[in-house]
Amino acid sequence: MTSTGSGRRVASGSPGFLKRSQPRYGEKAVKVLLVAASLVSVLTTVGIVIALIPPAAEFFGEVSFGDFITGTDWSPLFKPAHFGVLPLVTGTLMVTLIALLVAVPLGLGAAVYLSEYARPRVRAFFKPILEVLAGIPTVVYGFFALQALTPLLQDIWPGGEGPQVFNALSAGFVMGIMIIPTIASLSEDAMNAVPNDLRDGAFALGSSRMQVATRVVFPAALSGIVAAIVLGVSRAIGETMIVAIAAGGRPNLSFDPLEGMQTMTAFIAAAGIGDLPTGTIGYQTIFAVGSLLFVMTLVMNLVSIRLVRRYRQVYE
Amino acid sequence: MTTEPSRRIQRLRRRALRSAQTAAVASPSNAPDAPDAPDSTTAPRVSFRDAPPLTTPVFEVGSLSVFYGDHEAVRDVNMTIGDRQITAMIGPSGCGKSTMIRCFNRMNDLIPTARVVGKIRYHGENLYGKEVDPIEVRRRIGMVFQKPNPFPKSIYDNIAYGPRVGSFKGNLDDLVEETLTRAALWDEVKDKLKTSALALSGGQQQRLCIARTIAVKPEVILMDEPCSALDPIATAKIEDLMEHLAQEFTIVVVTHNMQQAARVSHRTAFFTSDVDVKGERHGRLVEYDETERIFSNPSDQRTEDYISGRFG
Ligand SMILES: Nc1ncnc2c1ncn2[C@@H]1O[C@H](COP(=O)(O)OP(=O)(O)OP(=O)(O)O)[C@@H](O)[C@H]1O
Ligand SMILES: [Mg+2]
Repeated sequence: MTSTGSGRRVASGSPGFLKRSQPRYGEKAVKVLLVAASLVSVLTTVGIVIALIPPAAEFFGEVSFGDFITGTDWSPLFKPAHFGVLPLVTGTLMVTLIALLVAVPLGLGAAVYLSEYARPRVRAFFKPILEVLAGIPTVVYGFFALQALTPLLQDIWPGGEGPQVFNALSAGFVMGIMIIPTIASLSEDAMNAVPNDLRDGAFALGSSRMQVATRVVFPAALSGIVAAIVLGVSRAIGETMIVAIAAGGRPNLSFDPLEGMQTMTAFIAAAGIGDLPTGTIGYQTIFAVGSLLFVMTLVMNLVSIRLVRRYRQVYE
Repeated sequence: MTTEPSRRIQRLRRRALRSAQTAAVASPSNAPDAPDAPDSTTAPRVSFRDAPPLTTPVFEVGSLSVFYGDHEAVRDVNMTIGDRQITAMIGPSGCGKSTMIRCFNRMNDLIPTARVVGKIRYHGENLYGKEVDPIEVRRRIGMVFQKPNPFPKSIYDNIAYGPRVGSFKGNLDDLVEETLTRAALWDEVKDKLKTSALALSGGQQQRLCIARTIAVKPEVILMDEPCSALDPIATAKIEDLMEHLAQEFTIVVVTHNMQQAARVSHRTAFFTSDVDVKGERHGRLVEYDETERIFSNPSDQRTEDYISGRFG
């Protein structure tokens, strides 16, 4: 209403007193760099898919998809060649299952302890250590399984023959140890994100710490916890070194964890290192198995993303 | 017209209120500024509640101090809280009201740095005795918080939570209905017991939290600013509920709302934060008396200043 604006007006003929906007070149350059950085991962994924498709397609030109997915004999590099992928799939699932049996209880136990029981200082000490565990090269885990765990199991095995030199049990167990940090750390994040209000409410109703953890915090953090487990599973399915070293290289359709078996990743590694000529069916199998592995992990990760998304909405 | 009422006007208004108390009949002519003061029509309506005697104390607090690490948040509190009545705790922010109320059900045990020194007797028994189980304490002495904090579960499961962890034997459905009815929430939620409690309004959530507390059948309900996140209508509903519950339960309520303290409580404790000779800031209980006396004739100047500065 009154003349408050007139006093501030710039004298030199400029119409407004708000500063003119200036082109911010630096900001634009940074933005381009950031977009490029995020594109790298997208493009890599796309590139992998594109690289997988042609050889895999050629493979399925010669071997029917049904035979591939239901066949029980995997000997693609020998004559007569068989292309039943089931032994590799069961090997993968077997080792993954053993890994989960180890990692889920221990990982969640660690997460509940760190989030609900540990004092802040203890947590500040343990959490980084846990995360360092995730940085140990998997080849170290592999040799630990082969050189330390398997001999130990053979020594202490009660009755029977015990595990073979290469076996799914040691590989799965050590792989479980490997993914504990993933599951523990992410689940702990999910439980930590549960508002303290809820804990106070539960304590004020006469809950013990265990009841607060299992009946309030755990369900509230469930989707985050499931996402953590799914991520652990993806890592287990994709893990190569441990199984290549400790579970052996023989495809074996068996559910006995004491036997050696080959996983999909171990096959890819073994076949990839060998000098298979491009264009041969043996070479193409690598891509067929790779595609299957890719689809399996992709499905796992999609599930994981879904869950994480749902988890975000819980407290709104 | 629209400027803040000056201290003088506030004092006049207070005098008007006081005379209204004694005369019991509201007469605007007592207050010369009556037409201008927005609250002059509501203030005389405040009628204080008669405080029941303290013959059967629930809590006896003696020389109580609470520390967070080295910081003494509350110093040397002595007070007695009576059976089946509402005790209000008022005072400026940071004076230790929440700290104090959390002592009554040992919620401070959950804060690693907190340390309670002194005595709180609950029906004559040392609340902080070595043999006392804090979980049992919290079942007898429930608590409602400032922000409604229903669990992200169904309405039914929220009510059933406390009885379940307390291994309640009996008909849970009946208990849920009975509890929600007592909390005056049954009619509003009876058709959606299985829906998420987070879908309720803030005021309903807070009443659900009160219901959840009484489902455990406690003796005492502690409330730390239970209405500060609610609108006036929801607040009025909670106040009604408190009055109703006070027939059965002992209630201790922290509030920043003077009118609320004046309306609902039988006794009022005024806390403030003091700086001692060493320059350390700590919370103190200044005055504790029947609500009517605190609001109409406080014996400490600080109480009077606080109430006159904020009341109305
Ligand atoms: N968990 C804690 N750790 C350390 N200090 C705390 C903690 N909680 C409260 N305090 C301190 O204790 C003092 C009293 O806090 P308290 O929360 O009891 O005040 P209040 O009277 O409830 O305040 P308000 O009215 O703002 O809720 C403050 O100085 C506060 O900083
Ligand atoms: Mg407070």
